Amino acid sequence: MKKNKLGEFQELVLMSVVILQENAYGNEIERYLEKCLQERQSMGAIQTALKRMEEKGYLTSKWGEVTQKRGGKRKRIYTATPMGVKVLRDMRDLRTQMWSAMPDMAIGGEW
Amino acid sequence: MVNVKNDLPPRWPIWLLRKFLRPQYVEEIEGDLEERFVDDTERYSLNKAKRQFIWQSLKLMRPALIRMIGGTQNLNNIGMFKNNFKTILRIIGREKMYTAINVIGLTAGISVALLMLSYVHFELSYESSNPKSDRMTRITIDYMDGSSLIDQDAESYHLLGPMMKAEFPEVEEFTRAYRMSEAVLKVDESSFRAARVFAVDHSFLSLFSYSLMQGNEKTALTNPNEMILTESAAQRYFGTTDIVGKTIWTSVTNSELKVVGVTTDSPANSHLKFDILFSYSTMKQKLEERESPWNSNDTFTYVLLTEADKYDTFSASIDKLSKRLEAEEKIENERVIGQKMQDIHLYSHKSYEAEAGGNATIVYFLFLVALLVIIIAIVNYINLATAKSMDRAKEVGIRKVIGSTNNQLKVRFFIESLVINGMASSFSLITIYLLLPGFKAMAGLPKDFTLFDKGLFWLVFSGAIVISTLVGGSFPAFILSSFKPVAVLKGKFAHSSGGILLRKSLVVFQFSIAIFLLIQTFTSSKQLEYMQAKDLGLNSEQVVVVHAPPTRSEMVNFKLFRDELLNNSSFKSVALSTTVPGQPTSMMGSTTGINLINAVEEHNFNFFIYFTDDRYIPAMQLELLAGQNFGKGVYEQDVIVNEEAIKLWGFTDPSEAINQKINFWGDDRTIIGVLKNFHQTGVKEGYIPMIFRYGNFGDYVSIRTGAGDIISQLSQIESLYNEHFDSPFEFFFLDQKFDEHFKSDQQFQTVFSALSIFALLITCLGLLGLSSYTVAKRKKEIGVRKVLGASVSQVIALISKDFLWLIGIATLIALPITYYIVGNWLNSYSYRIDISFWLFAGPAIVVFLVALTTISSRTLSISKMNPVNSLRDE
Repeated sequence: MKKNKLGEFQELVLMSVVILQENAYGNEIERYLEKCLQERQSMGAIQTALKRMEEKGYLTSKWGEVTQKRGGKRKRIYTATPMGVKVLRDMRDLRTQMWSAMPDMAIGGEW
Repeated sequence: MVNVKNDLPPRWPIWLLRKFLRPQYVEEIEGDLEERFVDDTERYSLNKAKRQFIWQSLKLMRPALIRMIGGTQNLNNIGMFKNNFKTILRIIGREKMYTAINVIGLTAGISVALLMLSYVHFELSYESSNPKSDRMTRITIDYMDGSSLIDQDAESYHLLGPMMKAEFPEVEEFTRAYRMSEAVLKVDESSFRAARVFAVDHSFLSLFSYSLMQGNEKTALTNPNEMILTESAAQRYFGTTDIVGKTIWTSVTNSELKVVGVTTDSPANSHLKFDILFSYSTMKQKLEERESPWNSNDTFTYVLLTEADKYDTFSASIDKLSKRLEAEEKIENERVIGQKMQDIHLYSHKSYEAEAGGNATIVYFLFLVALLVIIIAIVNYINLATAKSMDRAKEVGIRKVIGSTNNQLKVRFFIESLVINGMASSFSLITIYLLLPGFKAMAGLPKDFTLFDKGLFWLVFSGAIVISTLVGGSFPAFILSSFKPVAVLKGKFAHSSGGILLRKSLVVFQFSIAIFLLIQTFTSSKQLEYMQAKDLGLNSEQVVVVHAPPTRSEMVNFKLFRDELLNNSSFKSVALSTTVPGQPTSMMGSTTGINLINAVEEHNFNFFIYFTDDRYIPAMQLELLAGQNFGKGVYEQDVIVNEEAIKLWGFTDPSEAINQKINFWGDDRTIIGVLKNFHQTGVKEGYIPMIFRYGNFGDYVSIRTGAGDIISQLSQIESLYNEHFDSPFEFFFLDQKFDEHFKSDQQFQTVFSALSIFALLITCLGLLGLSSYTVAKRKKEIGVRKVLGASVSQVIALISKDFLWLIGIATLIALPITYYIVGNWLNSYSYRIDISFWLFAGPAIVVFLVALTTISSRTLSISKMNPVNSLRDE
């Protein structure tokens, strides 16, 4: 577990990549996260997360299409590697495990 | 959609990205950025989209995305970095003296410069705590004689404010501050004296941006007989700030005033500081009792303009108003002038200022000197580094052969510079921390002044590191990286004549500055000595000045008090007056338009009015040039004037003026005496024309004491005072009041001496480095010369010659510039020393001697050495 550590923000980006599939490139990920988090994200943060995860081998990328909006520059489409997906699962399992260990009062309606 | 040109994002961030981002990321990120920009233009305004674009691009500068300096072969680079650091640390460890000289020099330079800059910043920060200050203008009055300016008054007529608000659309609000002479306050059973008391309009609080800690801001100071106190005044008088609703008796109104609020203390960098504010309407009646509101201009008036750039329009409006008032015969020989509030502290030297101002020239001068000191320190670094270049040539050669690029070598030397500067900066933080309390006292900065909580300080601090690293590192970097490796390794490396010339000119530059600073220091200390030694025209020693009780009812006892004092043989004389020498002119009244009854030509000079009793002139030991003191006869119609006054009326001989009559506000007054000029306001300001009138009242009791124990004399005075008066006893020594006038000069002098000594020390430190390097290089030559019979002094002369020659050139360059600057500086004094040969020769000789000592200290040990040792090497 320790080896496959993922920051919270990186986890969100990675999930977005999986969700967006063929459309997973920088700006689209930002739009998606903005919708989910109700907050604009800086490109620097997203790009750093993408690059770091690619280095770790959780992501691969390939060149995508060109649009006029982008001034003739290609998109880079990211895809999660099996290892990336496994890390996501591990994270989820860890969380589920910990939630189930929580005393009842903590997740009761009163809170 | 086709982009119109305007809708394009700014270009420079893209340039920056291409430059700094890893090349493999550029296309993708640039595309994302542009796409986002197009989205943003639909979402926000174009400008905001552009701002977003810039902001987002800057936020992309992250370690994960930017390329490493010098290329993309990260692995290799990290290795090089490590290697660089290792060798740099080795050099630092090996060449201890070289490192010490550099670090000490830079530490001193950075600390001194930052301390000076903090002083400069404080002086320039006046009024900055008031966000409205850029829109605030003070209304002042110029006294004219025809078209020539006689005097400038910081105060103005109390009707002007309301008039301007009613008539000028660019005036949003006005406020007035009427300065009370000091007030005695009675709180419960104890009484206090408050020095800074003003009656102000309700608008004062909002215009000067003060907020109330207690009380209602909306209504405070709207009604008569209300007052607010500053936090520290409240603490002083009541021991608490919870005092709204309490009452205080004041001597100014002779009645009880209600406390309606407590405000924060005046900031140290505000020109109008106060302890207590009365509501303006409290004094309104007194002000309106006067025959005509146009007789006295004694109120500070400030107007708030609707916008800061309305100042020119406003000036034009005042100009028109001023002409109209003159046409309506409300004012005569005067003009109304607006003055930006932000200019008051440094640029305004009018009479009746609320507080003595600073001096812009000195502030900028010190700023310049601070920069020079830090430049001298950086120059040391450059000089030593380039001198060392020959030693380093081999290292450079080998690195080049191994495959270092020029850029990598440059980076290497910049890192070296960064390490040295980093060390120096850390030390300078400690130095500044240690020196700050002393510096504050020396420069007259407020006690609670701190540096370390100011963002600006850290900005300048990091700026200083970056700039000195870049500037200091660039010379060695460019010179050293340009060496040809093959030539160097073959040993064919010759002295680079460019480097030597650079070094020589930098030494000349450093010494020019040091000589200039030393001459300026020398001159200003001589000038200060001269002023302090100058005959005041009165005997200020052994005079105790006691504040007279402020109310008429208390003054009934004055005669008794005086007689009982004089019964004691310790007290020679006791006199009463409205002011005493050494006090600022604001303690006196002044008036224009007083002329001789039979004057051929009427003039509009500004005279200062002095009320004294008949004992004052002998008590102060003033000299009468002609005529007599106030004596028997009708005091009311007699005046005594000083030399300066009769000069204005055209008399050359004092006796001519005796029995002449002057028109004093419509009444005839006879001149019965002419006093020899004496310094009323301090030596710096020169003499002012004064008219003495008789009055058996006043704010000050001057008591001349005889020899004896001053402590017991004071306690005798105090017990008599407390016996006869209710007001608190307060006193000062007259000679100390005079010394206070030199405070700012003394501060300048101390700060400047410290600066120039630092500059000289840093320069000599550099010289020490250079000369010891030279000596080390010429060790063998010295050995040979000694074997051939050269004496120690011949060897020292040989080495020193080159350097002294440079200092000679520096002197020649510094002298004319210094002559000009020092001459100008002296011109700002009414009484000044003459520029003499020794004023310049003295400091120059000092510099020569110090330099010679520095050089010989290193040369001596080597020239004394047995030549066998130096020749046996190798």
